[in-house]
Amino acid sequence: MELTAAGMEVRIGRKTIVHGASVRVKDKQFVGLIGPNGCGKSTLLKSIYKSLVPTSGSVMLDDLNILKSSEKKVSQKMGVVGQFNEMHFDLTVEQMVMLGRTPHKKMLEADRPKDREIVEDALRITNLTEYKERSYLSLSGGEKQRVVLARTIAQQPEFMILDEPTNHLDIRYQIEILSCVKNLGIGVLAALHDLEMAAHYCDYLYAVKNGVVYAHGTPEDVLTPENIEDIYEVKCTTYRNPITGSLGFAYSL
Amino acid sequence: MQKTRTHKARATGFYSAFILAMAGLILVSAVYSVSIGQVQIPFRQAMNILLHALSGGHLGSIEQIDNGSYLNIVMQVRMPRVIFALLIGLGLSLCGTVMQAVVQNPLADPYILGISSGASLGATFAILVGFGSGTIFSQFGVASAAFVGAMVTSLGVLFLSSIGGKATSVKLVLSGVVVGAMCGSFSSLIIYFANDAEGIKTVTFWSMGSLGSSSWQKVPIMAIVVLLGCLIFLFQHRVLNAMLLGDESAITLGINLSVYRKLYMVATALVTGTMVAYAGMIGFVGLIIPHIARGMFGADHKRLMPATLLLGALFLIWADILSRTLVHNVELPIGIITSVIGSPLFIYMIVKKGYNFGG
Repeated sequence: MELTAAGMEVRIGRKTIVHGASVRVKDKQFVGLIGPNGCGKSTLLKSIYKSLVPTSGSVMLDDLNILKSSEKKVSQKMGVVGQFNEMHFDLTVEQMVMLGRTPHKKMLEADRPKDREIVEDALRITNLTEYKERSYLSLSGGEKQRVVLARTIAQQPEFMILDEPTNHLDIRYQIEILSCVKNLGIGVLAALHDLEMAAHYCDYLYAVKNGVVYAHGTPEDVLTPENIEDIYEVKCTTYRNPITGSLGFAYSL
Repeated sequence: MQKTRTHKARATGFYSAFILAMAGLILVSAVYSVSIGQVQIPFRQAMNILLHALSGGHLGSIEQIDNGSYLNIVMQVRMPRVIFALLIGLGLSLCGTVMQAVVQNPLADPYILGISSGASLGATFAILVGFGSGTIFSQFGVASAAFVGAMVTSLGVLFLSSIGGKATSVKLVLSGVVVGAMCGSFSSLIIYFANDAEGIKTVTFWSMGSLGSSSWQKVPIMAIVVLLGCLIFLFQHRVLNAMLLGDESAITLGINLSVYRKLYMVATALVTGTMVAYAGMIGFVGLIIPHIARGMFGADHKRLMPATLLLGALFLIWADILSRTLVHNVELPIGIITSVIGSPLFIYMIVKKGYNFGG
């Protein structure tokens, strides 16, 4: 599965948020989208997964034209883990994960043993088997996010979009979520706010500033002190973490 | 692992038992309901009459009926009324559940989109002003005027909330409130200038809801609209469940909520409009019954919907029984009964620990 979004321009009200951004995710790549708050990361992602309609641009997932296909068709191939997952009504964790089967179901079709197996698997991968009967609303933020990830896994997508999936989460949950997604071995496009996480997990990075792609390349190429200073407007020194061997960042104003 | 499985098996068993028990209770209550009233008919005889009528004379004997008029009372007066109660119970709880999912708000009820105030305005207009004779509208009764009022307001709310983009749930609720307030003030204006004490009393009585006008002629329309609505929504659980997650998540599960939201609103408006036209406003049923069912079986609409429907039907049959028997020789408006029973029940649901709107 290869995702190509080309020349994306997205307007919200009268304001253009994304000005002709293009991103590409090659087969089974984990691609990160970084940039400061309000730079248009989320908006770009939303226009890719059909929540917002771009004014121009095209999105192709292999030979499936995302923008011209039905939501149902797209959701059979592409799963999304969003930022906000609050709701007013409650479901059990199992019911919540079962909703991930929705794209593959006809209106009158019942849940089959196969669906239950898929849900069990998704729960196991996300370490939620014990939580099956728990109520979703009673869970902590990190646990909720894991449930949403399990739901997306149960969707059996061939491509996954993550919109700051680890926002507000403690370090353990951040690692759990990202490792879990990485282990799925499918193409991923993820907006991330933590540069160390981005450097560690991503094969390729797109840095977004003011709605345009400012730089792209491997984490080492993109996450240079000069680029970070331009994108985030902080002074930054990068170093090799002596323990993990991955990129580390020291910031100052 | 084993433990959760047995727990689940027990839950499923309880659910099936509940559904069966509800269906049984509804039947027994219906027979009880036709046997009581100003003329008391012994339960056994009422049952015989019903069996006789339902089986076309093969079952149940009507030879031992004490009084020949019983047959008439049961079949012509009370039976359509019980059927009305049953249908309206189904319809209100159906529309309540659907609207709560559509606007993602536990406070929603079938009347949230201004349907009640629109219907009231229509009815008030028909009762106090009337349509000038000679126009085609002069054929209109109160019921038709109420129906038209309900449909116009709900479509108006739908239109208003769609202006400038998607009809979000917040916009829907606010539009409903605004349109409702507008219709309410027009109704008040008509009442203020009306010099018709009898008419004002009729308006008041109408707005409290009543099954008094039920008759066999009205049963078919009501039955078709309500049962069709139930049948459709019993199979919409996937979409209804996805609705609970909100627009964003629903889209990523392949369901475009803004389309379904409109379809569902038009469908519920039709059902609610029909009910309001025939029986006036019967409050609280559509609000509390879904919550009670949710408290028992969770918010998964696959299980919730059948449970809600049966619970609603049973509740309304009993509300009707009480409205006829609480005060001797007086029939209380059923809307008063449902609110009087409903509000403490609802408070209990809210205060009760652990009720999390379906957890």
